Amino acid sequence: MQIEVSRRKFLQGTVAMSVAGGSALSVTNLFASHEHESHAIAKSITTKTGEAKEVKHIPTLCEMCVNKCAAIARVEDGIVTKLDPNPMFPKSRNMLCPRGNAGIQALYDPDRLKYPMIRTGEKGEGKFKRVTWDEAFKYITEKTTKILDEEQDNRSSFLFCAGEGMAEHTFKTFYQAFGSSNWLNHASICLQTVASGYGVTIGAYPQADLENAEYIIMAGANRAEAIVTPDTMDAFKRTKGRGAKLICVDPRFTNTAAKSDKWLAIKPGTDLAFVLALTYVVLTEELYDKAYVEKYFAGFEAYKKHVVTNSYTPLWASEITGIKAKDITTIAREFMAHAPKAVYYPGRRSTFAQNDFQLRRAMAIFQGLGGGIDTKGGLIFGDKISLKGHESLIPMYDKAKSRAVTKKANHKEGEAGYDDCAVISGGGSWLGWRNRFLEGKMPYKVRGMFCYKHNPMMNMPNTAKTAKMLKAMELVVCIDTMPSDTVMYADVVLPECTYLERTDPVKTFGGVEPSIAQRNRVVDPLFETKPVNEILRGLTAQLSRPLFDITKKYDEEVQDSIADGNEEEFYKEEYDMTKIYAYDQEELNEHAVHKYHGAAEALEKHGVFYPKMDLYFKQLSVNEHQYYPEKEKSYSVGGGKPKTPSGKLECNLANLASKGIDPMPTWKDEFNFSVPQGKFRLLTGRHAQFTQSGTSNNAVLRDLMPENYIWINKREAKKQGIEFGDKVEVSSRTGSTIIRAYPTEKIAPDQVFFVHGFGEESSALTWAFKNGGNDNAVIEDVLEPVYGAAAMHETNVEIRKV
Amino acid sequence: MARYGMALDYKNCINCKACEVACKEENGVLMGADKHRIWVGVNEISGEYPLLDIVSHSFQPSQCQHCDEAPCQMVCPTNATYYDEFHVVRVDSDKCILCSYCMNACPYDARYVDDRTMTVDKCTFCSDTRLARGETTTACQNTCPTKVRTFGDLDDPESEISELLRTREHFSLKANLGTKPKLFYLT
Amino acid sequence: MKIGPLNIPLREDFSLKSILNFEKTPVNMLVAVSVVAMLAMLVIGVSLYLMHGHHAYNVTREHPWGLLIAVYIFFVVSSTGFCIVGSLGDVFGFKDFTMISKRAIFGSIVTILAGFTVIAFEIGHPVTMMIYNVLSPGLTSAIWWMGTLYGLYLTFMIIEFYFLLNNDMKKAKIFGLTGLLVGLAAHSNLGSVFGFLNARTISQGVFYPTYFILTAFITGIFLSFIIMGFRYKLNFNEKTKKLLEGLAKIQGLLISILIFFVTWKLLTDMYGGMPNRAEVAEHILGSGSFWTEVILAMVLPLLIILKDFGKSPVLMFWASLSGMVGIFFMRYNLVHDTQLKPLQMMKVREYQLPPEWIHYFPSATEIMISLGGLGLCVLLYYVGTKAFNLDEEEGH
Ligand SMILES: Nc1nc2c(c(=O)[nH]1)N[C@H]1C(S)=C(S)[C@@H](COP(=O)(O)OP(=O)(O)OC[C@H]3O[C@@H](n4cnc5c(=O)[nH]c(N)nc54)[C@H](O)[C@@H]3O)O[C@H]1N2
Ligand SMILES: Nc1nc2c(c(=O)[nH]1)N[C@H]1C(S)=C(S)[C@@H](COP(=O)(O)OP(=O)(O)OC[C@H]3O[C@@H](n4cnc5c(=O)[nH]c(N)nc54)[C@H](O)[C@@H]3O)O[C@H]1N2
Ligand code: SF4
Ligand code: SF4
Ligand code: SF4
Ligand code: SF4
Ligand code: SF4
Ligand SMILES: [Mo]
Repeated sequence: MQIEVSRRKFLQGTVAMSVAGGSALSVTNLFASHEHESHAIAKSITTKTGEAKEVKHIPTLCEMCVNKCAAIARVEDGIVTKLDPNPMFPKSRNMLCPRGNAGIQALYDPDRLKYPMIRTGEKGEGKFKRVTWDEAFKYITEKTTKILDEEQDNRSSFLFCAGEGMAEHTFKTFYQAFGSSNWLNHASICLQTVASGYGVTIGAYPQADLENAEYIIMAGANRAEAIVTPDTMDAFKRTKGRGAKLICVDPRFTNTAAKSDKWLAIKPGTDLAFVLALTYVVLTEELYDKAYVEKYFAGFEAYKKHVVTNSYTPLWASEITGIKAKDITTIAREFMAHAPKAVYYPGRRSTFAQNDFQLRRAMAIFQGLGGGIDTKGGLIFGDKISLKGHESLIPMYDKAKSRAVTKKANHKEGEAGYDDCAVISGGGSWLGWRNRFLEGKMPYKVRGMFCYKHNPMMNMPNTAKTAKMLKAMELVVCIDTMPSDTVMYADVVLPECTYLERTDPVKTFGGVEPSIAQRNRVVDPLFETKPVNEILRGLTAQLSRPLFDITKKYDEEVQDSIADGNEEEFYKEEYDMTKIYAYDQEELNEHAVHKYHGAAEALEKHGVFYPKMDLYFKQLSVNEHQYYPEKEKSYSVGGGKPKTPSGKLECNLANLASKGIDPMPTWKDEFNFSVPQGKFRLLTGRHAQFTQSGTSNNAVLRDLMPENYIWINKREAKKQGIEFGDKVEVSSRTGSTIIRAYPTEKIAPDQVFFVHGFGEESSALTWAFKNGGNDNAVIEDVLEPVYGAAAMHETNVEIRKV
Repeated sequence: MARYGMALDYKNCINCKACEVACKEENGVLMGADKHRIWVGVNEISGEYPLLDIVSHSFQPSQCQHCDEAPCQMVCPTNATYYDEFHVVRVDSDKCILCSYCMNACPYDARYVDDRTMTVDKCTFCSDTRLARGETTTACQNTCPTKVRTFGDLDDPESEISELLRTREHFSLKANLGTKPKLFYLT
Repeated sequence: MKIGPLNIPLREDFSLKSILNFEKTPVNMLVAVSVVAMLAMLVIGVSLYLMHGHHAYNVTREHPWGLLIAVYIFFVVSSTGFCIVGSLGDVFGFKDFTMISKRAIFGSIVTILAGFTVIAFEIGHPVTMMIYNVLSPGLTSAIWWMGTLYGLYLTFMIIEFYFLLNNDMKKAKIFGLTGLLVGLAAHSNLGSVFGFLNARTISQGVFYPTYFILTAFITGIFLSFIIMGFRYKLNFNEKTKKLLEGLAKIQGLLISILIFFVTWKLLTDMYGGMPNRAEVAEHILGSGSFWTEVILAMVLPLLIILKDFGKSPVLMFWASLSGMVGIFFMRYNLVHDTQLKPLQMMKVREYQLPPEWIHYFPSATEIMISLGGLGLCVLLYYVGTKAFNLDEEEGH
């Protein structure tokens, strides 16, 4: 069946066919259907059906990236033909970004995973055989029980990792019930240091009220291209002399820079010096909000002394950052003149340089000096509508080893333990974990892994090492929607349906205008794909009991417990994993919002709910809606009070010192930006039309930007004889990648940049395969010392025309 | 009958191209660098790093201007290009002979060839999709993250677009050619 | 031959055999082989077009008009030129020129047929065109007028030719005059197809409509030399020499005027550096194809004419061949130059060089169809010489 049934006849042999239809299902493609399916797979982007018999509009939530914007799917005769923004959701306020619009392609991507598969070839080779769900579960059960038996029920011999997503928690409950202590997610390659930096300083990772801020410093965040809602929507409507002044601090001239009132080209990794100098000006000129500082600061005097005596002057910082001293002084004054309606934007993906944690602390403190915390136009904590939790199962496994051994003070050479970071965070350091695994520094053997909606092959610096790790694992189970590079290394592939084919856990979104939103199933899953909770329902049905039998075999505590009771009852009560997946998501969601009258119905009908929504929500103009009346908005929830345990903004964290971490943000000379002659500092980042590695095979998005190019300064390129479109090899100690050149003045002569998420090696991805350059093949695995986050901009590379 | 136009608060535009994807998905526009109804124009930045000229890099979202005095309509030998009842400039693919005259005559490069019908196509203000279904928004306007676009009836003095054009300074592209565009750029 | 009330005086010896029966000189053989080759190309080119449509062409969104439009113009200008030359004798009564009338009028029919053939593969939907040209005429469209008038013109040319064949000079004159006027109208409309492009300042204005008539006349004279050269195998009798000398003198004047026109066109284009016009003109001045046009179609022929005021018809024959190649470049340049400057000067894709000049080079299919048009034209003409007596009737 072909989607294209509009008035316009779809002619075979046209360009569209060769662009889009090139990958129409083929029997030779292992990832394609083996028989003719009645399912609809779009051959082109054109999903317009014209005269449909039945048209439905189903509210859902986008999952093309982390933002979860609300969408309404138009379904014509069972085919999703359009995704429109859902105006009722305050977080996304009637918008869908390009990726959100292209979500249909995720559903109808001809390359998507369709059936459970088991590996037949070498790891990484991409040779699989199609199996039934039962066979896949059986295979996993056998391998898992074998390993666990050999490891004497050390549940931690399995690693669980997951990417961010609405059903991440569903998978996490599996990890908890399984009883491993090895959980890794995107945190340490994403927002770990920023979240923690703000967390320990002001008690939470705040949001920014960009709708009301009058002065915004956006440093190391690219909201025009790295889309975060509602920030992206709010940040640019009043810039350019229209009510809010935006200062963009970025080594590259980004689209955010283009939209800003002033752009400061900073040397990478030197933001800490910039913020310290801003702080210096504010402290020495006494521009800070004295009342706020008096009331809510802890350790202010120490910090003041620290900054002043260290002479973190604008002049000092200008040397380090490359930003004029005069600019620093002006900005500090202007910021404070507008405070508290001034925002030093916290950012999201923070791990650029090794000093990132301290940078975020310095930023939080600087923000506090203006009093712009928990207040309109500043940083806000916002309110949240509570949901009723769903029971999870956390059995006690006596034989399960802990996550790892903490590095001791008298740590001996060769002794297993953490040496990747000072603080052990809940998320753990992915990079540190992987490297320890490869270096044989694990205190016990980890032999298998379950990977959900995560692509470590693409998302972590030093791809070669990740490949090595995946090869070393005896069992790799991947739950994904696409034949990603990581899936290529899987032993068992479990195809999840896409977000448009499932109802996911209802979620509450805090903020100035809190609400609850729900992803509703738009169409039934295609092929044999299933939502993750159904996958885990099936898996645990096979796996749960045999695993318990192993526990029974090795775990004396469990043996004891059984000895004086009914084994079956005990198992059901304490260890039966199947019960956490007994319910359908719809039922669970209803339960979660049960206490709010009409919520379940509203979520089904509108996708969104908040108390008094029917009263408050209205359209104000063509493009604007009211969610809450102004006086009902939660700009402030604690009158400006930080959410730290002490209720104070913590300038001086003495307890950090015991772990070898500066208690106050401190500049060190080794932070200085340095690039040897002939090399370039490699920067990576977002593009508005792509999400990490997850959208690289999206035909419609690729149509907008067919591949990534490396930005290289025009004059530098000229010197090297590199012209637009030339292929160059980018290499470092870690590896190399080939990419086309884009000579531009938007980047400094000693830096290069390219968009992350391209250059995949999976040949099952028709469009993404070897398309452009892969940054992580080149980026060195440098660890940020506090949380072990990946410091991604610490790699100098060489460029050679090929 | 309404006379549709669009006002663009173009300084809001972040060049995300959500509008382009929305248009393609809504209207079944083919893929290919040449097959777009809507685009965002950018100039390569001027100046040398770090002394770059921010204003030289502003984004200009654009599409068919739905000219009231449309050269494309005037040059069309078969009247395949016509004004519909909403003054939207449309192409009747049954009548289009693909002489390409309109493509050469349109000062805005707003037209392209649709490879399925092998006739000329362009922005229709979503006339045969959204407007035909009785909606009053266009796909590009509706989806835009920074709300660049206001679509509405120019003949209705009460409409938001009329209000905008009364109260905010604006300009049209290549106004000197006398094409009388119905796309207005708010300053 | 009688068809209903019509009497078409075919040559007595006309038959399929007579067509194949020509003197097997090396030149003739070369021409014959070339024509067959070109017709084969037409078949291949058209097949490719039917298989791939416009994708077989190198035309793009930015450069929608390609070689076929240029070749179409080349043919219809030739036709108009033939028509003007043919009219000198039988419409305007210049006695010296009547000997070429019939041949020229036939030439005008043949060339416009070739032109129509070529354009049929350039217009995406020629059948639709015929329907909607009538059902919903675009009266403000220069293409509509041009197409419609050329259709009428062809009709009048055929009628005129019929009367010429039948020696009905009075009626021939009436239809000849009408045909000429319609042809000139059609032709200046073709000029206005470009002249009306307000967005393309390099072409916009009165220049092309008038210039088209002038260059048509020039083309007609070049072609007259060529067909007479072939007719008399460069061995001209006195009467023909007289005719050709007259034509050469006119040509000298016309080319001088053309040079004058083009010079001023370029000067005004460049004066004051008007955006979109001055830089295009400068670009044109820097292009090889412009100078090819100037040298082959203007300088060379003019020098040869000036040498002895057109008294060397053989040299003029060669100069005319050069002239026609130049005229082809003239047509190609006109089409290409109009589209040189992009209307969208901004980047619309992230990794793209900012648009500069639009590049175009015809595809193999376009070239084959174009050469096919030429082959068809020669073939039709040749068949005509076999079928009809294209010489002046004896004793007339
Ligand atoms: N060099 C470099 N590395 C980076 C970054 C960078 O900028 N540069 N960015 C970092 C950041 S901030 C982050 S957050 C991480 C992100 O890294 P990841 O969490 O790995 O995210 P993606 O790369 O988008 O890969 C997501 C995977 O989930 C799959 N997927 C998509 N939808 C679904 C679904 O509904 N169900 C299932 N089961 N699978 C699905 C996709 O096919 C893909 O394989 O990368 C980090 N790595
Ligand atoms: N379109 C789109 N939107 C997204 C995502 C996506 O993949 N695509 N991903 C989402 C996710 S998971 C995340 S974490 C966020 C990430 O959001 P951001 O962190 O805003 O995005 P990045 O592009 O990673 O980095 C931001 C900017 O930091 C600059 N930069 C690099 N080094 C330095 C430095 O030392 N100092 C300063 N001041 N600037 C520096 C880079 O040039 C870049 O422009 O985006 C989210 N939104
Ligand atoms: S920002 Fe875009 S991709 Fe992300 S959730 Fe929103 S619409 Fe989807
Ligand atoms: S959707 Fe809006 S912001 Fe994005 S490119 Fe289009 S007009 Fe600009
Ligand atoms: S912008 Fe171009 S296509 Fe649109 S109405 Fe005007 S001339 Fe016609
Ligand atoms: S290409 Fe079609 S719409 Fe354009 S002028 Fe020709 S007939 Fe009219
Ligand atoms: S108005 Fe409709 S057709 Fe025109 S560009 Fe916008 S979405 Fe496309
Ligand atoms: Mo992230």
